[in-house]
Amino acid sequence: MTDQNMHGTIIRITGPVLDVRFETGSEPALKTLLVTEGEPVVHIEVAQHHAPGVIRAIALEPTEGLCCGARVRNTGGGIRVPVGEKVLGRVIDCLGRPIDGLGGIDAPLRDIHQPPPSFMMQRPSTTLFETGIKVIDLLAPYPVGGKIGLFGGAGVGKTVVILELIHNIAKHRGGYSVFAGVGERSREGTDLINEMRESGVIARTSLAFGQMNEPPGSRMRVALAGLTMAEYMRDEMRQDVLLFIDNIFRFVQAGNEVSALLGRMPSAVGYQPTLANELGEMQERIASTPRGSITSVQAVYVPADDLTDPAPAAIFSHLDATTVLSRAIAEIGIYPAVDPLASTSRILEPSIVGERHYQVARRVQETLQRYHELQDIIAILGMDELSEEDRATIYRARKIQNFLSQPMHVAEVFNGEPGRLVPLADTVASFEEIVDGKADDIPESMFLLTGDLDEVRAKYRESGEAQKNG
Amino acid sequence: MDTAAKQIGATLRRRLEAYENKPIVYEYGTVLSAGDGVVRIAGLAHSRYGELIAFENDVFGMTLDLELGGVGAVLLNSVDDVRAGERVCGTGRVVEVPVGEELLGRVVDPIGTPIDGKPLAASRMRPVESPAPRIIDRHGVNEPLMTGLLAVDSIIPIGRGQRELIIGDRQTGKSTIAIDTIINQRGKGVLCVYAAIGQKVSTLAQIYETLSAAGAMEYTVIVAATAGDCAALQYLAPYAGCAVAEQFMYDGRDALIVYDDLSKHAVAYRAMSLLLHRPPGREAYPGDVFYLHSRLLERAGHLRAELGGGSLTALPIVETMAGDISAYIPTNVISITDGQIYLEPELFHAGVRPAVNVGLSVSRVGSAAQKKAMRKVAKSLRLTLAQFRELQVFAQFGSDIDAVTRGILDNGERLSETLKQNQHEPLRMSEQVLLLFAVMNGSLKDVPCENVRAFNAGLLHYAGTRFAKLLDAIEETGDLDDAQTAGLRECIEGYRLTRSGD
Repeated sequence: MTDQNMHGTIIRITGPVLDVRFETGSEPALKTLLVTEGEPVVHIEVAQHHAPGVIRAIALEPTEGLCCGARVRNTGGGIRVPVGEKVLGRVIDCLGRPIDGLGGIDAPLRDIHQPPPSFMMQRPSTTLFETGIKVIDLLAPYPVGGKIGLFGGAGVGKTVVILELIHNIAKHRGGYSVFAGVGERSREGTDLINEMRESGVIARTSLAFGQMNEPPGSRMRVALAGLTMAEYMRDEMRQDVLLFIDNIFRFVQAGNEVSALLGRMPSAVGYQPTLANELGEMQERIASTPRGSITSVQAVYVPADDLTDPAPAAIFSHLDATTVLSRAIAEIGIYPAVDPLASTSRILEPSIVGERHYQVARRVQETLQRYHELQDIIAILGMDELSEEDRATIYRARKIQNFLSQPMHVAEVFNGEPGRLVPLADTVASFEEIVDGKADDIPESMFLLTGDLDEVRAKYRESGEAQKNG
Repeated sequence: MDTAAKQIGATLRRRLEAYENKPIVYEYGTVLSAGDGVVRIAGLAHSRYGELIAFENDVFGMTLDLELGGVGAVLLNSVDDVRAGERVCGTGRVVEVPVGEELLGRVVDPIGTPIDGKPLAASRMRPVESPAPRIIDRHGVNEPLMTGLLAVDSIIPIGRGQRELIIGDRQTGKSTIAIDTIINQRGKGVLCVYAAIGQKVSTLAQIYETLSAAGAMEYTVIVAATAGDCAALQYLAPYAGCAVAEQFMYDGRDALIVYDDLSKHAVAYRAMSLLLHRPPGREAYPGDVFYLHSRLLERAGHLRAELGGGSLTALPIVETMAGDISAYIPTNVISITDGQIYLEPELFHAGVRPAVNVGLSVSRVGSAAQKKAMRKVAKSLRLTLAQFRELQVFAQFGSDIDAVTRGILDNGERLSETLKQNQHEPLRMSEQVLLLFAVMNGSLKDVPCENVRAFNAGLLHYAGTRFAKLLDAIEETGDLDDAQTAGLRECIEGYRLTRSGD
């Protein structure tokens, strides 16, 4: 290809979307990376062939100061990011450039657009992944190699749960992790990197950030950059990889921001018509193959606390386990604010988790559900009108509700309470005793912010002694 | 006369020597259509994205859609003075504002034109839009930003470089908290910017008066687009204010910016977007309304020492409807900021002012920045108040309350009383520590609830006259050692003796 064919001219700019004219016949292929020549340097990715010789592209950097007539060079390929061992301990942006100030990364490069593993390559997930968080392990257990969603509105603690999972899993388990920061706070990025450096987890982690201060193009692509690093670890290094994405909703949101400017008609609630495809293309790549697995934990922001919003609704269908965080539960001071009845998991089946775990989980849910139903009756008639059995159910449900809370390691700086990591066996045993009525003698406030039932009993004994002495 | 002539001569000579015969190229275009503040222009083929363009009669606009044959732009002032066929000239600059210390004490509009009737001589300019500090350029938040409000500084502490949202219905005292915070920065080396978006001019004048009267205008800049200004100017106002404040941060200073308020900003942006035919989404806001606020608020932060160690603290304000904090814009901004101060009309009307709902208010980073002395006395405050509120509801149903519960209720009531504070009367850190120390140690047990505020006022006066050295020492070290704790006890006891003598 001659030099002339590799250059184009910007002919239209509307915010983060640009039109570039090339010679007819030498338009760069879709998803090719282009870069402007001269100031400001802006990387752009081809999104559409708009007309003969004219391509429409999305800018990955701010376009302020760019003018029509500026020259654009075809880089001859798509966005490529460094992958492999050299990227461990490093932080990159959506274009694969290091942003941690530790110098260049000398590693193989890989295109961020990859096909998902084929049907033949799929390996269904059937093993439980222990997190040490009671409510998750018991009621919505995570599958190894599965896709897990953490849903929650603004400020109910999604990021804290993600950090706790990193703390519990990445720290106590060997193996590699990838963290993709998509459209979240830069300050959290700084804090996370510092945290990981202190705990040493960073040596086994690769990070990619495109935070909320960056233009939509960057936020759309950084999720793929993180995913590509994880895929390489799975395919070439044959690892079981953990992929954390905070926050996958921002990926959809970024697509929405450029959709109208690309000339697409808006769909429900103004979202892009391509929402399901965009998400599907990405989510299908997060899969487990015979070579290795990717277990992904994705935070999902719920706009306006509305779970029926098209974006979270579309994300739901891709997940193997969902953990729903609720504002109502956060308000009564129960952290993590997991909604025990709205959270689900595909592997909560006797054949996978075992009969005992399954039965305990179901009985806990039944008790909470019954309490939920009775609440309206109590509000009208009062407790005294209830049967003896229902009253026992309510007292047990309130204890369960409190016992589902747990002090978290990453929240220690806020409340001074050291975090607890509860093994699955203890979790199941503790809840079994509560639903069996073996803890009916302990007041409900004792269950709040504790580890296992032994700790509750110890706390109760202590307070009893304190009262006797006082 | 002679010297004056000489001076003029010298100046002319200097100017002539510096003169270069370089042609200045201006590009011209012609207005094709104009209406609702949106214009289409033929020509201006090389204008840049976000460039300031000048019409006749001192009307300015900003380019938003660039095409080879023409340009789409929004007008920033005098929306009705542009007609089709008029000539437009590019300025070659993206929209900029004057920045620097010359602006302190001034009131300017978002393109830097002073609106307080005095000329402005600023030497430096800065684009209104600029990228936020990168992840590795940042430092953790570790210095407190004292608001002077006991309820905020003790329970929802704010650190320098933090973004803390002030949210609540109209008329619940949101602006008051922000203004009080500005007033309290006097003598603390924090430069303030108040960005007014879509407010009444009369409100703005009143705020200017309040700040001037408190001597706060000396270190404050007001950047204002009022309700009468066009949507595009209102859209620019917070970015312009941020540019002014940001310059202080990059100069190594500590800065504070108040955005009052971002719900009006979102509305202005919605108007602008719809007029530009961009499709509406939820609540008719355009798809990029999140990015509108995220890129603005991300510009706040605390820089590393190598970069001067400056900080920019942002206090955005959002107005809710009927207390609904889960609406679209409020949840968007909550998901950007590092915490929120939630003000409730019920509390406001019940006389709790500032009307802070402690349960729903959080600060995600500020507690790390609290001074040790404050952390010592405020440690169990949130829990005490939560316990008190829960028991208060519970106690309404029953009359047989045991002594322990009675104690918690009594203590809680006095604590709530102590947290009430008049507007524009900020408290020093040491004074806050003193008040909390008194109430948390039960020194107010025998003071009737209605006299708590009088007791506290008296205590502050007494401590200010007799124990000024102790307060200054606490202020300086930021810590509370054993001797100082004993000093506080002595002070409170001494005051109680004077009262019992009454």
